[in-house]
Amino acid sequence: MYTSVVRLQNVFGFFTTVAFVVAAFIAASDFLTERAPIVRTLKTTSVQVVRGRPHYYSSKKEEYAVINFSLDADLSSLFTWNTKQVFVYVTAEWPAADHAKTNATNEAVIWDTIITSPSADHLANIGPVAMKKLRKSAGGKSIDPNRGKLSLKNQRHKYKITHPSGKLAMTDNVTLRLHYNVQPWVGLLTWDQDVDYGYWKALKNGVSKRFKLPAIKEKKPASAGAR
Amino acid sequence: MLSGLANPRQAAVQLMNFGLILSTAFMMWKGISVITDSPSPIVVVLSGSMEPAFQRGDLLFLWNRNVLAETSVGEIVVYNVKGKDIPIVHRIVRKFGKGPEAKLLTKGDNNVSDDTELYASGQDYLVRKDIIGSVFAYIPFVGYVTILLSEHPWLKTVMLGLMGLVVVLQRE
Repeated sequence: MYTSVVRLQNVFGFFTTVAFVVAAFIAASDFLTERAPIVRTLKTTSVQVVRGRPHYYSSKKEEYAVINFSLDADLSSLFTWNTKQVFVYVTAEWPAADHAKTNATNEAVIWDTIITSPSADHLANIGPVAMKKLRKSAGGKSIDPNRGKLSLKNQRHKYKITHPSGKLAMTDNVTLRLHYNVQPWVGLLTWDQDVDYGYWKALKNGVSKRFKLPAIKEKKPASAGAR
Repeated sequence: MLSGLANPRQAAVQLMNFGLILSTAFMMWKGISVITDSPSPIVVVLSGSMEPAFQRGDLLFLWNRNVLAETSVGEIVVYNVKGKDIPIVHRIVRKFGKGPEAKLLTKGDNNVSDDTELYASGQDYLVRKDIIGSVFAYIPFVGYVTILLSEHPWLKTVMLGLMGLVVVLQRE
């Protein structure tokens, strides 16, 4: 009963139990920290619908939308000691053709970004120069209040969005919506919420005004001064 | 060592305990599978396509029931490519429609383009039943042992050898 092997087993078992309990406490600590994400502005700056091949692998021409936007938001309260990264994404949302009957919507991400917490900076996939700048920006802090402050003017889209039907021109009631996904070091993944839960406030003002996708952009005739 | 075998009742009891431990573990796994409605409720991250969120060796917990809301854009899901048995952990970036027939498009955070090229030929979108679970919780690094075991099969033999050695030594 007192061989070294048994002792080793007991130590290992105790280690796993303690590690598990500590991880549970760390994960639970997330619920006790306040979250107050704020969006000040979210609006489109340029909207176009083009007919062409949106991706290099597209085999046929279809209509795709190109949406640039401005965003002013403060998500710094999402960063705690347990935050590994915050994935922020802006989606364009519009009701489906049979919305009146089925309440169906279409939603597509037009832009996203990953904001790492200083504790996870070493994992970010950026080049050495950018990495140095990122690490320096935190100034050695474990939580950086400047992370999460987004001030984008006329931000270019990352993704050209399409629809399975191939048609997007003249679509009505399109809105942009800001979302975030908090990735912890250990625990539950959480997304933006509509309702206040305990210490976590809902994301207000995260939807832009409704806009309409325009008609297909007319290509200028192939002559001098054309693109 | 032979003293254990000389007493067949003790050997039988040990065998039964071993069998009980194995079947309890199996039942717990299947029980969690039923509760989460996912064929594989705990997965290990194998690739770096979701970095820096998930690294190789991280353990993900999946939930496959839509109790409060439908699977929506932004959720990280695990799906199997039709016809292949490779589970892929990526994020949903587009959703068209509603219900089980809604068309979903996925993309890895660390990938430049979306997953259209990974899907079966002729398939442009996923539907809800292709998804075997949505990630709701995560523990870093714990699953690295399984990656080591699958990439270095000799480790399995070493581990089994060590366990056998421990069992033999314990008898004395």
